[in-house]
Amino acid sequence: MPADLQARAEQAVEILRAAGADDAWANATQSRNVEFTYRDGQLEKVQDATARLLTVQVYANGRYSRQQTTDLSPDRLGGFLGEAVAITSALQADPERQLTPADLFANRPEVDLDLVDSAVQALDRRQRLSWCQAMDDSARRQEQVISATSVVYDGTRTEASASSNGFSGTQESTYCWLGASVTLRDRGERRAVDGFSAGAPHVADIPDAAAIAGIALARALARLDVTRGPTTRSTMVVDSRAAVELISRLLAPANARSVQQGRSFWAGIMGEEAFSPALTIVDDPLIVRGLGSRYYDREGISSEVLPIVEKGMVKNIYVDTYYGRKAGLAPTTGSPSNRRIECGEQSLAELLHEAGDGVYVTSWLGGNADGASGNFSLGLRGHLIENGKIGRPVGEMNVTGNLRALFARLEALGNEPYAYSTTLAPSLVFSDVDFSGA
Amino acid sequence: MTVGPVIIKRRDFLGHIARGSAIVTMPAFLSGCGVQQATQLAASPPENPFLTWFGVDEATLARVMTELTANGADSADLYFQHQRINNLSMEDGIVSRADSRIAQGVGLRLVIGGQSGFAFTEDLNLDAMLAAARTAAAIAAGTAAVAPQAYNPQRTGDLYTTTLPWAEVGISRKLPILQQVDARARSADPSVQKVTVNWSDADDRVLIATLDGRLAMDRRPMTRLSVLVTATQDGETQSGYANIAARQDFAWYTQDRINSMVDEAVGRTLILFDARRPPAGEMPVILAAGASGILLHEAIGHGMEADFNRKGTSIYSDMLGRKVAEPFVTIVDQGTIPNERGSLNFDDEGNECGRTVMVENGILRSYLHDSISARQYRVATTGSGRRQSYQFAPMPRMTCTFMEDGPHTKQEIIAAVDRGIIAETYTNGQVQIGAGDYTFYVKNGWLVEGGKVTAPIRDVNIIGNGPESLQRITMAADDATLDAGGWTCGKNGQLVPVSQGIPTVLVSSMTVGGENAG
Repeated sequence: MPADLQARAEQAVEILRAAGADDAWANATQSRNVEFTYRDGQLEKVQDATARLLTVQVYANGRYSRQQTTDLSPDRLGGFLGEAVAITSALQADPERQLTPADLFANRPEVDLDLVDSAVQALDRRQRLSWCQAMDDSARRQEQVISATSVVYDGTRTEASASSNGFSGTQESTYCWLGASVTLRDRGERRAVDGFSAGAPHVADIPDAAAIAGIALARALARLDVTRGPTTRSTMVVDSRAAVELISRLLAPANARSVQQGRSFWAGIMGEEAFSPALTIVDDPLIVRGLGSRYYDREGISSEVLPIVEKGMVKNIYVDTYYGRKAGLAPTTGSPSNRRIECGEQSLAELLHEAGDGVYVTSWLGGNADGASGNFSLGLRGHLIENGKIGRPVGEMNVTGNLRALFARLEALGNEPYAYSTTLAPSLVFSDVDFSGA
Repeated sequence: MTVGPVIIKRRDFLGHIARGSAIVTMPAFLSGCGVQQATQLAASPPENPFLTWFGVDEATLARVMTELTANGADSADLYFQHQRINNLSMEDGIVSRADSRIAQGVGLRLVIGGQSGFAFTEDLNLDAMLAAARTAAAIAAGTAAVAPQAYNPQRTGDLYTTTLPWAEVGISRKLPILQQVDARARSADPSVQKVTVNWSDADDRVLIATLDGRLAMDRRPMTRLSVLVTATQDGETQSGYANIAARQDFAWYTQDRINSMVDEAVGRTLILFDARRPPAGEMPVILAAGASGILLHEAIGHGMEADFNRKGTSIYSDMLGRKVAEPFVTIVDQGTIPNERGSLNFDDEGNECGRTVMVENGILRSYLHDSISARQYRVATTGSGRRQSYQFAPMPRMTCTFMEDGPHTKQEIIAAVDRGIIAETYTNGQVQIGAGDYTFYVKNGWLVEGGKVTAPIRDVNIIGNGPESLQRITMAADDATLDAGGWTCGKNGQLVPVSQGIPTVLVSSMTVGGENAG
């Protein structure tokens, strides 16, 4: 299949050139995924999806456009591509719009990232049902359970790219996710709900199905009898799963587009110790069997490890070729792969013990952050930390502050990263955080 | 469940109609790619224009439906869709990027008992459709249903009839609008440093064939124009945003409408330099008319979607018929308001959209039903079955959600608050269905002290509990406003366009994110 996609991408580039494009980039993808949803002892839904997409980027007379279609019938593809060139010609010229320079295609890593698991591709109905049933049994073993939903989601994604300046590449990866969500009867009409899911390119890297649902049930049980926490300023301990979102918000404006458009608090802090010396973040596309691993990025830039923050000092941001040119920055990569956050020495229990009192955040609810200023305000769910231990569950609370200032007050990190995300973050401890509640 | 992004207010939502327009057709750079190659079993070509577009005939529909229901079905549908979306972006004074997407396919779904099977194909030839039908049918193991051999075309809706389809509007007509937005924003104030203008239009053709023999057809236009303004004063940078969106055509973009959007974005941005965070904690919150409909969307709307209730997972699961709010509170979901972003002639199961009163004079009345939940509750569907595209199965969703006028005035409400805030513009919201806890993020607002508006505020999250907040709506004004902005609702990985609105209301206590705690 990769060869077919490669041929499709190369053919699209040829047609675009023949239609008058000066340069062209084409990307062809095909994916198949199957989703089993199982609820309260019964298979509820089976979804089987095979999708395909052709994306072309056209450069003509200093102009640029990007066109996509799922309609790949040969009798209409020529018309679509010819029209893509015509659309491009109707735009305004932008001298910074250029194909990725070919020298960035060089040194493609030769390591085997092991992203395809034949066991995922061989999954059948019996195995998916067996996992669903194991999760369902495990999730519903408490009387308070109103409903439990278990999901198995697996598939293969294949893509190929070609360009008029010599890029050629294919990438393929499999994925398999198992997850459960549990709803418990709580006081009054309230329900306590939580869930847990785990996924990886290889089946062997996923925990036992019953264990996944067991974590979902435990998380839901921890949400029983939630009350509003206090309005206070105190220490915040963020568990590793919730840390993923917080790190993502920190890094959201760490890119050339946001900087060039004046909407990033990362502008002007390159080389500065902007954050706590405890913080080190590396973008690592070369993790074997990593969820975000790749040989090259969407512009064809060959993968390499990119330090973002080193002991609090800003080393790099995400720079694609277009906004790099506009901002006068050398391209790194425009799209994150795996983000590794360097772990600390202590376990979560030790971090909580050291904190003494404060708020332990297990998940977020809504909220937002302003990229230009770094100001944020997020809803949270979690527990109070009382005498160094996890105390009563709290909700209906907000945490408010500034991301740059918050990460300057990062005191410590846990010793175990959350494994089921492209952001591999451990638990985080911050001092002097503003909470609003009752 | 989430919703975003921000929108601006509009006051003419009740009863407004599509304006006629006289547009000369321009050469179309963005025209559709023509009809499909025919997949016909009958001898004569199909005469129905929608069937023609998808290149199928009734005999083909019957053949695929028969395969889909070969192992039994209570209901089943074929959802054909062809969508063309065109986006233009202007940045740094240049319209330098166009993004277009054609998405075409058919989703095949059957429902039997509490189970459903779903598959889709982007190949509209008979073999591919039959293969997808067999995949979806595998969930059932009974005897074949009786598939219709002929279909009954439903009445064509007229909620968003346009004079000129978007497929026939070339880029050359759109460029001047983006340039005009950019120029007006840049000239508004010397502190404006960057302006990004985004344009989007979509032309969506849908054909739905059902096991009970209905054939619903709909052509759904959509457009949105947005502007993001970034300004710098004394080394401080702030950004603000506004947009307008509707199921409208090119003539909708009048000078006044465009200017009003730009002025609102600039105004929202510049006031941020004077704004501060409010104190943290519980306090009365006045929700300004219009965009504050996000309260209804999060605090009650999602919780009233019947899929959550039939599973017992919503906080509203056992509350029908109960008093949930003061008698002046009536909350409606209505998919039939002409040209609204959230409106639909038919839902995505081929049922006509309607007006569902969720809360009537303070009493919880009705959930939002798709065909699955309607069957379980033994009620008529409310026409709330929606899906993002042919790649997804439908589920109960909101359309245009709003609260009707209350007995108070805006001035009375402000005067009643000794220490609190007004929440005016928003970026996003989210709800936790089971516990009922919800949040929304306030970009712009005001402090209220001693019954008077005193200072601007910015960037705070507000959190509350749905049923508690409904009970705490102690005042509602007579200025109900539906927003015309580009709200998009996310649920279970599916995005659909929605509208929302509300009059000015007072919620006596909510938890406001802020600073100065300690």
